[in-house]
Amino acid sequence: MKKTLQDYKSAIKPVWCPGCGDYGVLQALQKGLLELEIPPEDIIFISGIGCSGRLSHFVNSYSLHGTHGRAIPTATGAKTARPDLTVLAVGGDGDGLGIGGGHIAHAARKNVDITYILIDNRIYGLTKGQTSPTSPLGQKTKTAPFGAYEDPMEPLPIFLSYDVSFVARANGLDVKEMQEILTGAIKHKGMSIVYIQTPCKTFPVIDPKAIKELFQPLPADYDKTNKLKAMEYAYSQKPLYTGIYYQVEKTSLEDRLQDIMTSACRKNDNGKVYSVEQILQSYA
Amino acid sequence: MMSNIKNDSEIDFVVRIGGEGGDGVISAGELFASAAARTEYHVFTYITYPAEIRGGFSMIQIRTKNSTVYSMGSHIDYLVVFNQVAYDRTIKELREGGTLIYDPDEVKIEDNLNANIYPIPLTKIVTELTGSKLGKNVVALGALGHLFDIDMKVLEKLIQDRYKSKGHEAVEKNTLALKAGFDAGVKNDWDRKFHLIANKEAKSQYMMISGNEAVALGAIAAGCRFVAGYPITPATPIFETLTKLMPMVGGRAIQLEDEIASISACIGASFGGLKAISPTSGPGLQLMGEQLNLASMLELPIVIVDVQRGGPSTGLPTKTEQSDLKYAIYGTVGESPRVILAPIGVEDSFYQTIRAFNIAERFQMPVIILTDQSIGYRKATVKIPDLSKIVEVPNSVLCEDITIPSPERVDIASRIIAVEADLNSYKRFVNTENGISPITIPGTPGGQYLATGLEHNESGKADYTPANHVMMNKKRFTKLAKLAEVFENNLPEYEGSDKAKIGVIGWGSTYGAIKEARLIAEKRGIIFRHLHPKVISPLPENQIRHFLAGLKEVIIVEENFTGQFAHFIKGKFGIKPIEIHKCEGVPITPEEIYTGIEKVARIVDEENIARL
Repeated sequence: MKKTLQDYKSAIKPVWCPGCGDYGVLQALQKGLLELEIPPEDIIFISGIGCSGRLSHFVNSYSLHGTHGRAIPTATGAKTARPDLTVLAVGGDGDGLGIGGGHIAHAARKNVDITYILIDNRIYGLTKGQTSPTSPLGQKTKTAPFGAYEDPMEPLPIFLSYDVSFVARANGLDVKEMQEILTGAIKHKGMSIVYIQTPCKTFPVIDPKAIKELFQPLPADYDKTNKLKAMEYAYSQKPLYTGIYYQVEKTSLEDRLQDIMTSACRKNDNGKVYSVEQILQSYA
Repeated sequence: MMSNIKNDSEIDFVVRIGGEGGDGVISAGELFASAAARTEYHVFTYITYPAEIRGGFSMIQIRTKNSTVYSMGSHIDYLVVFNQVAYDRTIKELREGGTLIYDPDEVKIEDNLNANIYPIPLTKIVTELTGSKLGKNVVALGALGHLFDIDMKVLEKLIQDRYKSKGHEAVEKNTLALKAGFDAGVKNDWDRKFHLIANKEAKSQYMMISGNEAVALGAIAAGCRFVAGYPITPATPIFETLTKLMPMVGGRAIQLEDEIASISACIGASFGGLKAISPTSGPGLQLMGEQLNLASMLELPIVIVDVQRGGPSTGLPTKTEQSDLKYAIYGTVGESPRVILAPIGVEDSFYQTIRAFNIAERFQMPVIILTDQSIGYRKATVKIPDLSKIVEVPNSVLCEDITIPSPERVDIASRIIAVEADLNSYKRFVNTENGISPITIPGTPGGQYLATGLEHNESGKADYTPANHVMMNKKRFTKLAKLAEVFENNLPEYEGSDKAKIGVIGWGSTYGAIKEARLIAEKRGIIFRHLHPKVISPLPENQIRHFLAGLKEVIIVEENFTGQFAHFIKGKFGIKPIEIHKCEGVPITPEEIYTGIEKVARIVDEENIARL
């Protein structure tokens, strides 16, 4: 039976603030999964803590809502164990760039075939308005009553230097664009990051109108394999380019491990995996 | 040819080889132990490494016995020293009338030693042969080979196995060194008391493995097919062994950026349906704390191994200590059920690891295995279980009917999988009589569910209502209570006379030393009984009450500063034990334990006399 959007919705109704950008991300993701016709039972969806962490509650999938900042290594384990499934992970600017920021580099090195959705609203929303790694300098927040005293992080160039094999930015107010980029990311074999910028309605740092005007798709003749060019575009503040900045083919972790397995069993009869008995006897 | 040679007494002797890190002391000792293991005898090794790569004092001790070896022994019978530091640091432990082999060009010995003294110029011999100082360890091995009448063919084969990866020349040079050492032994015309004659059958029935390898092999036997880890002394050999073995058995091994990521990956893999393990040591366990709670909350099976080392902080990375007990039991914010197992030796590490997986899988919770450096780095002969008797326990079998894995029978239990009927409006966390809810594996249509670290209801939805929190907490702890019941029905884990007035309690690696202390004591007319629970939490409390009944004094032996297990036992049973702590980075010996017990026995005796 042909699936409908309903098939990708869980029984739990979303609880974000009215007008929250996360609704759009959720919708784009569900539409993208429908478009790709991935059966819900073949999806593992892992989230961290924050408003974005709730995303996994609302998707009909094998969903794991874990601790703060650990979605990426959890997804890495899930994908390594189950290369046959689609593994997604999501986090916000706090989860993905603050507490869990260290994990991105290593998942990129592994080129594990997961899609990481990073939703950036430049504020800690769930805990009601504290400074995040991307809050602008001077921004007044609950933990920076006299204005933020740190420079904000610039995520895209970081992902590019980590050599994440698929790096994209999407306008969080544009469901169609998000869907298009997300499906590209899910189809990509290897680590993909979709960086979505979207305003928080309740603790606004980003002005929705202003950012809308800043977004502009990457040029039509843009070369997705040119990393230095990608860097240049990634640093641009006006406009904020959207689309796939960088996409290269690299062997994924699953394939690398499969190769290791084949070579480890090469000497055994017909290349079969070794039995427990054989392993124990080798220590006799 | 030599089969008519008989050993003139019971075989039980201790050899120690000491030198500078990088001298090859450990590999010489391991080769000697392997040679001995290929006879009909049991061996037990104890190693200390310096924390540095080269330099520093390093030694290996090998005890060989014609029955199961329980400890490294209290005294050294044969001491081989390569340099002055090794001599100075260990000569006091050589028993009176023992044998000292030393390099006279490197070591100056004191006069009037009560020992059989054999100078062998190890460095000179090897330098003359090969032009290099490397290989003096193999000269020593050759000499020991002659001293214990080991077949030269066995030794040559070992040299070949060990050095063949380094090329033909390495094998040749080392074989020359081996023979030169053997000849030096011949020249010594020493009194050969023990004859280690090769026994072909022994080879296929026993593995010669370290405690760390035992954990790795236990995991493989248990059906674990995923390891994620981060190197940390002294647990690294478990991870190294598993990174080698996993691909061979169709499993996956990945190194992560830290311990938090490692346990996270295990949670992800377990969620995906694989049995998962992460080996670590104290500081790593501490980093894993938050994710351990998550595994409890998501009711996902994972096994974490903590090979304890000296603490606190970076502490004594290469030394042994039993000081992570409280953290393992209580290191949780919020209350999250977990099980703590403490293997008592190398062989037990193999079987307790299988048991850890059985418990984790059947009860859907994390299990921590607490071993320590002294078990991890010790090598011993381990009987290979009868693999034809490995039983995959079906879904329907009750938890209490799963036996404790042993060489006679190994049960392999997996998680209880939701069946078709459960999937009709599937509730992942359905509250059952024993708290165990059938789980689905991703890829199963209709089995999708949400596992959240937030308090949740039976279907998985976040729910903070008071009644729900009460119910779910109870459900999670019902599993632990059920487990405690299962443990209660296991055979009591104590030994010794029921008439004893003194009871000794230990845990983990001190088992062998306490057992030997008990045997020494019995010979000298002191009887005590010895409790050594392998399950540290939840404790089988009735069994322990039964053990405590009728005792006048309870002694708790452990290798830490503050008496962590004693504190735990005192809190649970309201007793006032006498505590014997050794916290020096090295294992406690049978003699040290015996000395303590003898003092207590005297007090108990005096009390008895006073009452007459």
